[in-house]
Order: sequence, then C-alpha cells, then structure tokens
Amino acid sequence: MATTTLHPAAATYKSGLYEWLTTTDHKKIGIMYVVNSFIFFFIGGLLALGVRAELAQPGLQFLTDEHLYNQVFTMHATVMIFLFIIPMLAGFGNYIVPLQIGAPDMAFPRINAMSLWMLPLAGVILLSGFLLGGTAAAGWTSYPPLSEDRILASTGPGQDLWITALILIGTSSILGSINFLVTIFKMRAPGMTLFRMPIMVWTVLVTSVLVMMATPVITSALIMLFIDRNLGGHFFDPSTGGNAVLYQNVFWFYSHPAVYVMVLPAMGMISEILPTFSRKPLFGYKAFVFATAGIGALGFSVWAHHMFTTGAVFLPFFSLMTFLIAVPTGVKMFNWIFTLVRGQLTFSTPLLFALGFLSMFLIGGINGAFSASVPVDYALHDTYWVVAHLHYVLFGGSAFGVFAGLYYWFPKMTGRMLDETLGKIQFVLMFIGFNLTFFPMHVLGLQGMPRRIADYASGAGWNDLNLAATVGGFLIAASMLPFLWNVFVSLRSGKIAGDDPWEGNTLEWATSSPPPPYNFDRLPEIRSERPVFDQRHGHGAGGHK
Amino acid sequence: MTADSHALTTAEHSPIAGLAHDARGGISNPILGMLLFITSEVMFFAGLFGAYFSARAQNTPWPPEEFAHTLNPLSLILVATVILVLSSVTCQMAVNAIRRDDRAGFLRNMSVTVILGIAFLLMQAYDYLLLADEGLTLNAGSFGTTYYTLTGFHGAHVFGGVLMLSVILYRGMAGQFSSRHHDAVEAASLYWHFVDVVWIVLFSVLYLL
Amino acid sequence: MSSSPRPRSASDLILIAILVVTMGALIIGALATGFMDGMFPPEAVTRQGREIRSLYDIVFWIAAVIFVFVEVLIVYSVLRYRRKPGQDELPVQTHGHNVLEVIWTVVPTVIVAYLFVISLQTLNSIDAVAKSPDIHIRAVAQQFRWQFDYLAEDGVTTLFTEDVATSDQGGGMHVPVGANVQLQLTSPDVIHAFYVPKFLFKRDVVPGITNRFDFTIDPAEAGQTFRGQCAELCGTGHRVMLLDVVAMTPADYEAWKAAKIEQAGATPAPSASAGPVAVTLEETAAGIKFTTKSLEVTADQAFAIDFKNEDPASVPHDVDIRAADGSVLADQPTIDGGTATTYTYAALPAGTYTFICSVHPFPDMTGTLTVK
Repeated sequence: MATTTLHPAAATYKSGLYEWLTTTDHKKIGIMYVVNSFIFFFIGGLLALGVRAELAQPGLQFLTDEHLYNQVFTMHATVMIFLFIIPMLAGFGNYIVPLQIGAPDMAFPRINAMSLWMLPLAGVILLSGFLLGGTAAAGWTSYPPLSEDRILASTGPGQDLWITALILIGTSSILGSINFLVTIFKMRAPGMTLFRMPIMVWTVLVTSVLVMMATPVITSALIMLFIDRNLGGHFFDPSTGGNAVLYQNVFWFYSHPAVYVMVLPAMGMISEILPTFSRKPLFGYKAFVFATAGIGALGFSVWAHHMFTTGAVFLPFFSLMTFLIAVPTGVKMFNWIFTLVRGQLTFSTPLLFALGFLSMFLIGGINGAFSASVPVDYALHDTYWVVAHLHYVLFGGSAFGVFAGLYYWFPKMTGRMLDETLGKIQFVLMFIGFNLTFFPMHVLGLQGMPRRIADYASGAGWNDLNLAATVGGFLIAASMLPFLWNVFVSLRSGKIAGDDPWEGNTLEWATSSPPPPYNFDRLPEIRSERPVFDQRHGHGAGGHK
Repeated sequence: MTADSHALTTAEHSPIAGLAHDARGGISNPILGMLLFITSEVMFFAGLFGAYFSARAQNTPWPPEEFAHTLNPLSLILVATVILVLSSVTCQMAVNAIRRDDRAGFLRNMSVTVILGIAFLLMQAYDYLLLADEGLTLNAGSFGTTYYTLTGFHGAHVFGGVLMLSVILYRGMAGQFSSRHHDAVEAASLYWHFVDVVWIVLFSVLYLL
Repeated sequence: MSSSPRPRSASDLILIAILVVTMGALIIGALATGFMDGMFPPEAVTRQGREIRSLYDIVFWIAAVIFVFVEVLIVYSVLRYRRKPGQDELPVQTHGHNVLEVIWTVVPTVIVAYLFVISLQTLNSIDAVAKSPDIHIRAVAQQFRWQFDYLAEDGVTTLFTEDVATSDQGGGMHVPVGANVQLQLTSPDVIHAFYVPKFLFKRDVVPGITNRFDFTIDPAEAGQTFRGQCAELCGTGHRVMLLDVVAMTPADYEAWKAAKIEQAGATPAPSASAGPVAVTLEETAAGIKFTTKSLEVTADQAFAIDFKNEDPASVPHDVDIRAADGSVLADQPTIDGGTATTYTYAALPAGTYTFICSVHPFPDMTGTLTVK
C-alpha cells in the first residue's frame, strides 16, 4: 500500500487501439468483455426505461406503437441476458481465472479473442432490426408459433436477426467454456490442486460445463426455428404437423441452466469478496463446491418448471427437482453468512454490493420456491410476480455481484482504486431503486397483472405500484451516474492501488496491479485455497478449525 | 506490446511454461479441447434427435404413407455409409502412421481420407436430388423437415471435417508433424471419428429403425 | 465454532435491542398499513382456487419465516462483526463446522420435501378432470379475442357460441355457481393462456393440443363478474385479449342459456334496421391497419361504410362503433380477409365516436368518427 506510482506494467495497457483489437492477452480480452458488456447494459437499461415509462400510468403515452413496445421489452431481455450478464461474467472469468490458478494465459488465446469479438458483432446484428423494419418482438423466449413467419406473428427480418445473433453468442459461449475448462484442467500452477482452487474458479468450472452441454441444444432449437421460418420446415407449427411445445422443451433445456450460468460466477465473486473483507476463510469450502456442482447437475432436470401451465409436461418430477435445488442454494447462503460470523468486517464498497447480493438473492431464491409448487405456479406464472422473481435473481443477484466484483478487481485491472464515497452513493441509490422497482411487482403479479402488456385498465388498481416501479427504475438509472463518474475520475487520478489493496487471499493479489503480460514474476507456494493469505500471515495462521 | 511479451501470450513458448502444465502431464490441450468440443456437438445432435423423435411420436404412421418406401437402406446411401466408415479406418491408419513417424504413410492415408470424405458429400448431394424427385423435400411435412435437417447438419459437419483434414494434410505436406508433435492430427481424427459415429446413428435411426 | 463465545459487550446488547425493535416495528408497520395484504393473492372464488390459496398461505408463511430468520441473521452478522479500530489480530480462522452444515442441509431438505408433498396433494385435487362434468365449454383463443362455445353433454357438439368476451360489451363466459364446469382450451393460431386472477389459475391454450380443466364457482359468488385476460404473449394485441367470467345462479343461467340457444336457432337478423342510408363511406383494412383513420358523417342520419378487408383470408375484421365511454353502439359481424361488405349503421347524435375493429382493438385499427 506504500506504492505511490503505477506499476510499470500499466504502460502496456496504454498501448494503441490496434494492439487492443488484436490482443490475445486474457486480461485485455477480459477487460474488453467487461467494457462491451457495460455498453450493452446501458443499452438494455435504456430499453427498460422505455418499458417503465410506458407503464408508469394507464393509457398509451410513450411507446404508443404497441408493436414497438413488444420489440423494446424483447430486446431489453435479450440484451441483458445474452449481451450483459453472460458475457460480463465470462469477462470476469477471463480476467480472473488464469490469475487465480497461476497460469500465464488461457489455454487457447486466439480462440479467446474470437469468442470476444463475436459478441459486439452479434449485438449489432440483433439491434440492427430497429433500423431494418423492426426487431424480434415475440419476447426473449420467442415461442413459436408467435415467432414463426406469418401474419400477426413475426414477419420481417427481426426474428431472423435475433436467431442469428443468438447462434453467434451461443458459439462464442461454447468456445469460451471449452477454453475455461481446458485452462482450469490443464494450466493450474504446481500445488494448485482442484480442492485448493478459489471458489470463483470452481463456479466458472461448473458454469462452463453447463454452457458446453446446454448451449448446443438451444442452437439446435434456433436452427430449427430458422428452418421453419425460411426454408418451409415443419418443426414447431402445429398447423403443419409440428409441435409448439417441443420448442419450449428444447429452449428451456438450455435456458434454465443458463440461469445458473448467469448466477454461479456471481456467487463465485461473492465467495471471494466475503472472506477477504471478513478476514476469514469461506465457511465450508468443500460443501460450497459440492453445492455448486449439485446446482449444476440439478439444473439440467428442472427446465420444465417454466412450462407447468402448458399441460404438456410431467409435473411431479420437475416440481420435486425444482424444490430440491433450493437445498444447495440454501447451503451456500448459510456458508456465506457464517463467513461473516465472528469475522472482522470492513465496509468497503465491494462488501456492500456483496451484502446487497446476499439479501436480494435471498428474496429471489425464496420466491422461486413458490413457483416450484405447481398449484401456486398456476396462479403466479406469466404475471409480474415472475418478473419480480427473475429480477431479484438476475439483478439483485447477478448485477449486484457484478458491481461487487468490479469494485473489488478494478484496482487489479487498472492499478487504481475506485472512489469509495461515490461507490457508496451508487450502492445506496441502486439498492433503493432496485427494491422500489421490483418489490411492487410481486404485488402486481399477485393481483393478476400479466407480463408483457403495454397497458392496463386504470380501474385495475395497479396504478400506484406501477408508478412506484417506474420511479425506482429511473433511480437505478440515476445510480449509474456516480458510477460512470467514478470510473472516469478514478482511471485518471484514482488512488494507486498497489499489488494487494484489500489483503486478498488468492493468487491474483500476488502479482502487480495491473499484472504484467505474462501475469507472474514468481508464484507463492500454494498450500491451501488462500496462498496469498498464507504468504502474508503464514500457513495456518489464526488457528485452523 | 513488445516482441518478447507477445511470445508470452501462448503457453507453449512461455519461459514459465513449467507453470502452465499440470505436473501430472496427461492429455494435451488441443486434444482435451477437441474432446470437449465433441461433447458439445453431441448435445447439438441430441437436440435435433429430440426433435426428430418428438415428430415421430406425434405423426403416425411414420414414415407417412407417401414416403413409406422412399428411404431404402439398400441403395446409394449404403455405399455412402461404407465409404464414410472406410474413411474413418484410413484416418486412423494415418494417425497410426504419424505415431510411427511414417510420414509417407500418413500423407497417403490422409489423402485417401479426404477423398473419401468428398466422395461421401457428393453421394449425399446426389441422393438429395433423387429423393427430391420422389417428392421428399425439406417442406414435405415433419418427415421431410427432420430428414433434411438431420442429414443436412451431418453433411455440414462432414464438410467441416473435410476442411479440417485438408488443413492437416497441407500442414503434413509442409512437414509440420512428427511422432512427437502431432496433436492436431489426433484432434482432427477424433472429430472425424465423431462425424462417422453420428452418421452410423443417423443411418440406423432414419433408415433402419 | 467450538471456542467459548466471547462475552457480549454492552454495545452488542444495544445493537441486538435496536435490531429487534427495528424488525418488530417493520413487521407491525407492515401489518398495520395493509402491506401484508399485498403479499397474498385475492380471495379465490372457485373450489380449486381456494385450495391453491390455502397452499399459497402455507408456502408464504414458511417462506416468510425463513426470510425473516435469514435476513435477520445477515443483518445481525453485519452489524455485530464490524472490524473495530485497532483490531489487527486475525479472527479465528473457522473453516467449517460439520454439525452446523449437516443441519442446514437436512432442515431445508425436510422443508422442501414437505412443500413438495402438500403441493402434490393440492395438484392432484385441482388438476382432476371429471368424466362427465355439469357443463362443457370450449374456449377458443385467437389473435386477439376469446370465444366461448357451449357444448352439449357429449363435450363435442356446439349448442351455441358466445363470441363477445367481456361483460361491458354484453358478453362474457356465463357459468352457473356450484356447477362443475369443464373448460376445453383450443387455439387456431399461436399460444395463449386462459387466466382469471380470482381463480388463482391459468392454463395455456396451445395450438395442436386441447387442454382441459375443471372449476366450480362458490355459490356465494352468484351475480359477480371476474375479469381475466390472456397471460401468454400472443402478439401486438396481447393486452386486449380480455375476458369476463359471469357467475350466475343456476336459474339465471338456465334462462340465459335458453335465450342464447333460441337466438342461435333463429336466422341471424341483419344488423338493426338502419333506415335509409344517407351517405356511404369507404374504409379498407390492410396489414392489420385501417387505411383511413378518421371519418365524418352528418348527425341523426343513418349511414353506411363500404368495407374491404385486404388481409389474408385467416384474418377477420369488422368496423364497430363505440361511444367515448367504451360502450358498443354498433356491433358488426366480421368478414374474412380478401372479402368486402357494406355495413349499415343507425343514425347517431352529434359527437365524437370511435370506430374500431373488434378483433384487433388497438391503435392501428382504431379511428375517430366525427358526427356533426
């Protein structure tokens, strides 16, 4: 912490545009993943504000063209899921995983660069629909027959652009996951056994298995939809011998595991941050690893809980599996809390966001159990309750985790600290805005407000809660201003971080900030899952329990 | 970035390459990567097969009456099947040759493999023409859609495999492989065997089952 | 965790007291302001709905207890274990605790197993479909309206059709209270979902599949109307796919049904005698849009509209007239795509009205009729 100048390695990050565009360095690629994902986060956020502006009060005021409204919420979800959360977490994985296992880079650096550059391309293809007569408008799930090419459904190029973009993103994810798996299996430093890997690495490992096994399945569904739309195929259109529910089965076979893809790495980040700021190891490391693997395995057997109301799935099995997934999730929750218990907590911004994750993900997890109960799901499915639930998981969970991770690793990435005061302002605004937006949606859903409607009757009793949600949405948007200002200012004149500003546990804190292109000049001895802690305090310091 | 740091971005040339490898050695990165890629490809075809069996369960009789005798296993397609299986054999012979450092044998067998692969593709294309004459097209109901989607995507994979093997052949002719250094050959041959196995499953399901 | 607990300092006790008081105040506040009411679905009006509600209540209270317990644990840990100035010595490095970990694996497993079992019991009861229900109705959901075919006892033959889905337009799905009604759901186009919030129930309407479910409305609800709407995104007009369920006493229902059957048997009368037509307007629908968005006629004179539907055959349209308050003044039969007709309308007093396609009642198929 005594350092007053940036590490000389920082110079390589000031290199020219061409260098960034052609780099195969996992750290630069990771940073570009993060930047790219933030760009799409803001695009997706603006689209969300469009939806909230329209729903603020009854009547059509803002997106008066309802077809455009459908495009806007479809793009909001597609962008947030496929171009923000998934790539954002892949980006952190890209940056962190090789550092945490003591490797000089990913196993396939050039494939890594290719995975990255497919994403902005896919984003441009996806959103170009706005200029080409309309984007996809059938929801991010794009259920046929609504997504088929026919009148009153999805004519025009938007749906095909959506399919193309998703196949590209899927391919990027698959290549990325293989890269992660080979890196983790083959490139760990000497002494870094599987059960000494940081939890972040474990979560990326399980996530990668999910991506590798599940993404090709949605690719097949997308291709079938494309064939239906463009080549006269008959997969999903019942009027020509197809099966509409088939698409849902194939789609959710991917998209439910995708939920864990979207949250497991965030859990991994939280599991790095909580021990650091409580000065204790993660409580129940092995249980946590098995819980992560358990979530991954169960994740493949719960997809049809999105289809309880179709009347076409075997309800008891999927209900049971969905309930069971609460068990490993609960194990993790208690592991996190008992990491705090008897610790010495320092309330830096990363910890605040991590605690935000804990308390919000708790709600998202518990209200998920409601939908596991089939009869209760009959009441809640496709209402705003579900919108609330998924945002508590993906925003309250994943997005809070992303900000926790960003505040935590920004010093490593740039060599400079983010400003704590601005960070805390952002946290408070975002936390309040988030709850103001999404908590009322539980009530709206219980009262019967369906998803994906542009308007509602003013007599339905939904006015106040919708207005509250809209105000909350704009508050979330406002919370991004201190964040952007923080990044801008800190990049120029933030406090110099030094190698290890937080007294971290894992190997990334053993090298300079930012690390040199080859990552490590020398590695500490790896005798536990906390090699840098061992180096600082001595192996076994503080007593072993 | 400077020249020396550039060299560090790939593990193989790094001065700290010792860090980069599992102390236990074991399977090489390209081969593990290919095995994982094949796993994901298996899931891709599983999705397509799922759709096929769903369509088959829903539409009776299967095949529909007008196509009851269209898909005859004892036709050109059997020849194509034999060719693809043979190509897998020659591919393995090429791998065995390079393991023995027999470069001539490697090039000879790999050339035959590529030619057999191309022959399979041509026969499949010709078979498509014959089937289309009989009215079996992509939009001929679920039967036609699933048939062409499954065989078409298999064909695309064969095409990809032919490209991959052609690159291997080209690199082999440039003398890039030896008994100690031929991970790419092993990886490409794994992919080719996978494509072959998919075809055997496809052929069994579409023509025999 | 085996080390003896450190003695609690006064500040810790104050902290716990503050926490307890705050939580208590929050809970009491929540109860007092009616916040808790918002956390429950509406009172159910069907037998099946009440069973779902009972199940919801159990799930909710278990969830609420878990939520409060864990959230309090988080808040307590956060406040209690702050790093104090000068605290340089490491805390005890606890790596885990087998007994605790077994407890928090086993207890949730037991809870979810219990929830699964009671859910399954409720499910078996509410998903039961009678072989011979009292009433068969087939709900046909199509972009973007509901139609209810009342079927004979065989569950196949249509007795009559109610094609107006909402009660403010004089329609709605009329059912007697206390009767076991079986609804068959079919769709000719895309996926819809039949959803009535007060039933606490929805079921998808999937083309190619006929879903069925039974419901019995509580006798006390006779005379009530329950609003519902499509719950599965079905296109641009998704939100206008409203429906009403009108609960009637059995006697009222029989009378309504008899009238409907008689009406269906009668030759359909041309729309209300309109008198001599003073003026004929033109309107065309193409691409689910009216080409002319404003029309003008003279007050107190009957008029006609030559209407051409240029959309594909599967897309019907009509031109209805509604007053400013939404009440229907003229309800015309729809015509299929590719056909044309002349609608005649009775005279209207001066004012501003809306003409609208009842199949696609959204802005592209809504226009202003000025009468002066």
